[in-house]
Amino acid sequence: MNAMNGWFKRGAEPIAAAGPQVQFDNVSLQYGQTRVLDGIDLTLSAAEVHALVGPNGGGKSSLVRCLLGLAPHRGTIKLAWPGSPGQIGYVPQALEFDRSLPMSVIDFLAAMQTRRPAFLRPARRQRQQIVDALERVGLGSKAERRMGDLSGGERQRVMMAQGLMPEPKLLILDEPMAALDEAGVAIFESLICELKTEGVTLLWVEHDLAAVRRLADRVTGLNRRLLFSGDPAEELTPERVLDLFSSHPTQRPKKILQRKDQKEMISD
Amino acid sequence: MTELFEAFRVTVQGWAEAGLLPSSLAYGFAVNALLAGVIIGPVLGLLGTLVVVKRHAFFSEAVGHSAMTGVAIGILLGEPYSGPYGALFGYCLLFGLGLNYLRNRTGLSADTLIGVFLSMSLALGAAVLLVLAGRINVHILENVLFGSILTVSGVDIALLAVVALLVTVPMLLFYNRFMLASFNPALAQVRQVPVKALDYLFVVLVTLVTVASVKVIGAILVGALLVIPAAAAKILATSLSRFVGLSMLFSLIATLCGILIPMEMELPIPSGAAIILVAGSLFLLSVLARSLLPGLRGAVT
Repeated sequence: MNAMNGWFKRGAEPIAAAGPQVQFDNVSLQYGQTRVLDGIDLTLSAAEVHALVGPNGGGKSSLVRCLLGLAPHRGTIKLAWPGSPGQIGYVPQALEFDRSLPMSVIDFLAAMQTRRPAFLRPARRQRQQIVDALERVGLGSKAERRMGDLSGGERQRVMMAQGLMPEPKLLILDEPMAALDEAGVAIFESLICELKTEGVTLLWVEHDLAAVRRLADRVTGLNRRLLFSGDPAEELTPERVLDLFSSHPTQRPKKILQRKDQKEMISD
Repeated sequence: MTELFEAFRVTVQGWAEAGLLPSSLAYGFAVNALLAGVIIGPVLGLLGTLVVVKRHAFFSEAVGHSAMTGVAIGILLGEPYSGPYGALFGYCLLFGLGLNYLRNRTGLSADTLIGVFLSMSLALGAAVLLVLAGRINVHILENVLFGSILTVSGVDIALLAVVALLVTVPMLLFYNRFMLASFNPALAQVRQVPVKALDYLFVVLVTLVTVASVKVIGAILVGALLVIPAAAAKILATSLSRFVGLSMLFSLIATLCGILIPMEMELPIPSGAAIILVAGSLFLLSVLARSLLPGLRGAVT
C-alpha cells in the first residue's frame, strides 16, 4: 500500500513521493472561549502542493501551528511517511528582526543550522551548505551582508533558505510571498516547482489566489471550518472567492453551509 | 590547581617588585583581585551578548539588584559578612525563577512585571538592611554592595573558576539555540529547541554569574557589566564574531582597569564603581566612534 502510494501520476511523468501524507482528523482548537478551528478533516496527499486559503483570522496559521505541534489541539494529525520519517521544514511569516543586530546572513543561518556557536566561523562543509541554500533563493552574493541591511523581501528569502536546511521532505510555508518583491516571487515559484519534482509535500498558506491557481495541486478554503477542498481550477470560482473573503465566520453563505453540513453528517 | 595559582602569584609579585608590572601587584591581594577580574570579565562579556540579543537587560539588572537583598538576608541569618553566598545564591535564583515563571502567566509585559518585582525586592532589602544597621557596623556591607578587592581570597578565586566553567560550557553548547529562541520561538520549537527550558537555564546562568561577581563588582553594579560591554560592542560590530569578541574584550578591559587604576592612583574608590565607570567610558567612546566613522553604522558600501 505504501509502495503504491509512493508513486503519483502528475501529468505524464510519475514522481516518487519523498514527503508524507498528512491526515487531519477532526482537529479543533480553542483559545479560552474562542473556537479557532472546528472539526477539521483534511488529507494532504504525499508529494502534493497544497494551498491553504481563507480570510484573516480564519485559522490558517492556527492549523499550521497544530501540525507543527505548537498548539494544544483536539483530534489527531497523522503523518504517513513513504519510508523512514524525514525532515520537516517551516518558513514562518515575515520575521521581526532587530535591524541593529550585528549579524551577517551567514551568522544568522549558522545559528539556525549548526550547534557550533555561530560567533565562531562555521566549518567549511556547513558554510558550503548555507551558501548553497542561499543560492537556491538567489541570495548567494549577499551571504556576508548584515541581516539588518537586507530588504524585507530579501529577509523573507533568507527564511526560505532556512526552510531548505536540512533538506525537507515536508515543507510548511506560512504566507511566504507576503513580503516578496517581483524577483523574489519568480524565485519562489521556480523553487516550489523544483520541490514538487523532488516529491516534497508542501503545505502553503497563501493570499495570492492567482499564484495558488498557477502552482497548487490542491486548494483548501478555511474559515474556522473547512469550506472546500479540491482542484484550484474548479474550487476557486469567482463567486466562491468573493464568499471566502467577504463572509464573516458566523454568517457563512448558504451554499457552503450546506456542503459543510453534509460533510458533518458523513463524518459523524 | 592551588599550587599553580600560588606559583603564578609569586611570579607576578616578583615581576612587580622588579618593576616589570605595576607596583601595586607586589601585594598578594592585588594579584588575587586581578585574577578574579581576568576570570570573570570575559564570561560576563560573553553572557552579555545574549542578554542584549534576548533584550533581557532589565531582567539582568533586576537579578543583580536582588543580590543586595540576598546579601542582607544572608547576614541577617548569620552568614559571614564578606561572602554570604548561601542566601545570595538562593535568593537571586528564587527571584529570577519566580520572575520567569510568572512572565508567561500574568499577561503582563516583561518590563512591567520586572518593575513590580524589582521594587518589592529592593523594599525588602532596604528593610532588612535597616534592621541590620542596629546590630552591626553597616560600613562592612559596603564591600559586598560595591565590590572590594581586599577581600578576594584563594577560595573565592577557585569558586570563580568553577562558576566560570559552569556558565561558559552551557553557554557555548546552547548559544545558537538561545539566539534562535529569541528570534522566533515557533521556528525554534520546530527545530527541536526546548524554548521554555532554555529560558530557565538562562536565569540560572545569569544568577550564577551574578553571585560569583559580587565580590569584585558588588551587588549593586554587577548587572551593569552584563549589559554595558555588550551594548558598546553592538554599536561597533558588523558581524556576530566581532560582537562577541569585542564584548568579551571590553568586559576584560573594564575589570582589569577598574581593579588596577584605583590601586595605582591610590584612589579610595570601590572596585565595582571603578569597573563600571571604565565600562561606561568605553561605551561612550563607542558611541562617539560610531558618529565619527560612517562605516560603523552598517552603511552598505
